[in-house]
Amino acid sequence: MVSNLTVGERQGALAILIVLTLCGLVMAAAAAGHGDPMEMHGYLVMLFSLGVMAILLRGFLAPPPSEARLASYYDDPIKVGIIIAMIWAVFGMIIGDWVAWLLAYPDATFDAAWASFGRMRPAHTSGVIFGFGGNALIATSFHVMQRTSRARLPDQLSPWFVLLGYNLFCLIGISGYFMGVTQSKEYAEPEWYADIWLVVVWVAYFILYMRTLARRKEPHIYVANWYYLAFILVVAILHIVNNLAVPVSFAGAKSYSLFAGVQDAMTQWWYGHNAVAFFLTAGFLGMMYYYLPKRAQRPIYSYRMSIVGFWGITFFYMWAGSHHLHYTALPEWVQTLGMTFSLMLLVPSWIAAANALLTLNGAWDRVRDDATLRFMMMAAVFYGLSTFEGSFMAIRPVNALSHYTDWTIAHVHAGVLGWVSLIVFGSFYALIPWLWKRERMYSPTLVEVHFWLALSGTLVYVFSMWNSGIIQGLMWRTYNDSGTLTYSFLDSVVAMHPYYVARAIGGLLFLSGTLVGCYNMWRTIRWSSAISAAAPDELAPPELLPAE
Amino acid sequence: MSIDHNLLVAVSKSVGLFYLIAMAATALVYSCWPANRERFNKAARDIIDDEDAPWQ
Amino acid sequence: MFKTHYRIERKSITLAIAIIVVASIGGLMEIAPLFTIDETVEHDPNMRLYTPLELAGRNIYIREGCYACHSQMIRTLQDEVDRYGPYSLAVESKYDHPMLWGSKRTGPDLARVGGKYSDQWHTAHLNNPRDVVPQSIMPRYDWLSQTELRTQDLGDHLRAQRTVGVPYTDAMIANARADAIAQASPGDADEEALANRYGKATQIRTFDGDPRTVSEMDAIVAYLQVLGKLSDATQPKGK
Repeated sequence: MVSNLTVGERQGALAILIVLTLCGLVMAAAAAGHGDPMEMHGYLVMLFSLGVMAILLRGFLAPPPSEARLASYYDDPIKVGIIIAMIWAVFGMIIGDWVAWLLAYPDATFDAAWASFGRMRPAHTSGVIFGFGGNALIATSFHVMQRTSRARLPDQLSPWFVLLGYNLFCLIGISGYFMGVTQSKEYAEPEWYADIWLVVVWVAYFILYMRTLARRKEPHIYVANWYYLAFILVVAILHIVNNLAVPVSFAGAKSYSLFAGVQDAMTQWWYGHNAVAFFLTAGFLGMMYYYLPKRAQRPIYSYRMSIVGFWGITFFYMWAGSHHLHYTALPEWVQTLGMTFSLMLLVPSWIAAANALLTLNGAWDRVRDDATLRFMMMAAVFYGLSTFEGSFMAIRPVNALSHYTDWTIAHVHAGVLGWVSLIVFGSFYALIPWLWKRERMYSPTLVEVHFWLALSGTLVYVFSMWNSGIIQGLMWRTYNDSGTLTYSFLDSVVAMHPYYVARAIGGLLFLSGTLVGCYNMWRTIRWSSAISAAAPDELAPPELLPAE
Repeated sequence: MSIDHNLLVAVSKSVGLFYLIAMAATALVYSCWPANRERFNKAARDIIDDEDAPWQ
Repeated sequence: MFKTHYRIERKSITLAIAIIVVASIGGLMEIAPLFTIDETVEHDPNMRLYTPLELAGRNIYIREGCYACHSQMIRTLQDEVDRYGPYSLAVESKYDHPMLWGSKRTGPDLARVGGKYSDQWHTAHLNNPRDVVPQSIMPRYDWLSQTELRTQDLGDHLRAQRTVGVPYTDAMIANARADAIAQASPGDADEEALANRYGKATQIRTFDGDPRTVSEMDAIVAYLQVLGKLSDATQPKGK
């Protein structure tokens, strides 16, 4: 892999890694001596840089790559990105299922601070959202931007900087939670130095995207790139504004957010909701608008609809964050505005879902036979369902019941399991054989198995959380004849137990699907081309062979 | 005139509504503009076959 | 040749700028007016500040991720007021950097938990929730009693808080460490000075029942016991 870098790029990489190692050293030295967790993060940065440096140096003196490379796309970072994304998926889902069991059996953990629910829960959310989702977005964006621009990435260093730098951010953030380093802002927990590093990485990502677009041979920018670009740009805005904070000292991890109280709440949920919009929706819609037509071998049903939907999502979502704060101390006009825009948001959301499903109209036999395409189809269905649910839950009286309950958890997981994960798995199953030049995935049967495990896991999860959420919400507001509350809070906790067990089982199903997927991907990658060439005849089921 | 809370709220509401309408109109006009039709259809078709190599 | 290249670049930059403009409007329109909100919400000139010990406890609350399961925001709904007390006002969290309103109630709301239970109850509950509430699903936090609270840099914490707008005085910053120790060790420190700086209502007790050291348990219990008690804005006096 290093041999594909030019000599200049190798030197540049070495310089970056030396600077980064020194940064790690400074962090560790500054925080050493007063027991601050930033010291550990300094060592982590050093270790990470030295590890990458070791790989770099092993190939440092290899002969420079030939000019012929410029006649092909640059796919090495995409391949690595896919593998890293799957590793994060397994990690994040294991932690997620573990904490799910903890809610049913609270002592099923180690007697240590790092293993308590409160510290592991952000490790789950960040692991799946940023680790799995983020790497999947970065890897597929590198693929989509090259193909749709019909241009190779402008250089071979910056994609590695973006991919590995981003994973360094994930590592710092998630290892921090276990040590108790957190800003307590949901989905923006990493502390100030991780946040600053992410800004550096993100600027490099944006520049890389713009440079690739500038090299494109197609005059029109394909709409999938618009979504990826919105993902990159808006996440940058959200990240910077919501993470404004003053560190207690530059030699320690702790910081205090610039905003307080109601302003902080509004900023946080403006961020939180739009992290859903531009991290978990826009980028993945870009993925859908490319891989779904490609896999179905049919152009998108309506390109116009995709454009209208794009501007609708970009505009409407930013207003909707305040629906997380209904009936709170936030001024009522902001709540109303948030609710109104959340309802309008249904239009562009359903445009996207309908566009995907209408693209498949006329190819339903393919959806039936091809589990990869079915992953994408089911993702579009769940996207439509969860955006409808989201708009519904943003209505104030509905929110009065649903907020603070497991209904929110059901909604979120319908989105991230049903929509985000399924579109990623579908895209990966399409992408891996293309990238590694294989005929197909190693085992189509295992893709099928993964599909049914993922779907059943999602359904079990979502249905149990719907039940528990609505029961919880109703129990909290039930009055008896004498005008007092019927149930204590504890009554509602006890009533949740069976649903928490069911949810953890649903999560386990989903996790096992992911493991099956990892195995299948691994076998596909390791499949030598000789077998691959011989395989179609040998492995095809007998009934598909030509008749005598 | 000083910038007080009520003024800002009023601006938010009116400008927000203006932007909503202007934005929707612009997006609709752009996407339905007849001259764009062929370009959009071509873009939708072209990605189906883009695997080989970058164009030189 | 140069010309086409220039045009192509301009197109992608225009797209990027359009995205920024279209996406920014919503946030600007909604958030900007909130920074003039002081003109419209209730005032409380007697709002007390977190003492250094309570602030340290709050940081433990953040560190352990308590906000993932406990909200601190009572909504304006009858059943919430009946269950948890008067609904939360904006002024009550005006010094909360960051706010801890939360988004999920796996456990009950804590906005007004201060004074509801005894210190002994909290200490026992945090050590092992199932000792006091057999059906509880809360994690155990038994290491808090055994961990000594880090007090030496509390002055820096107060200074950072002042930078973001919390009106801590020079005296408060200078005495942060002494004040934290005094609050958890009644009898052998300068309680008078502490009460002068933070108000007569400051609770000075051995929160974890162990007067020998100031532990993390002291801090978190001190914090829990002050929740909902920093402002009198919700008291119906004079109305």
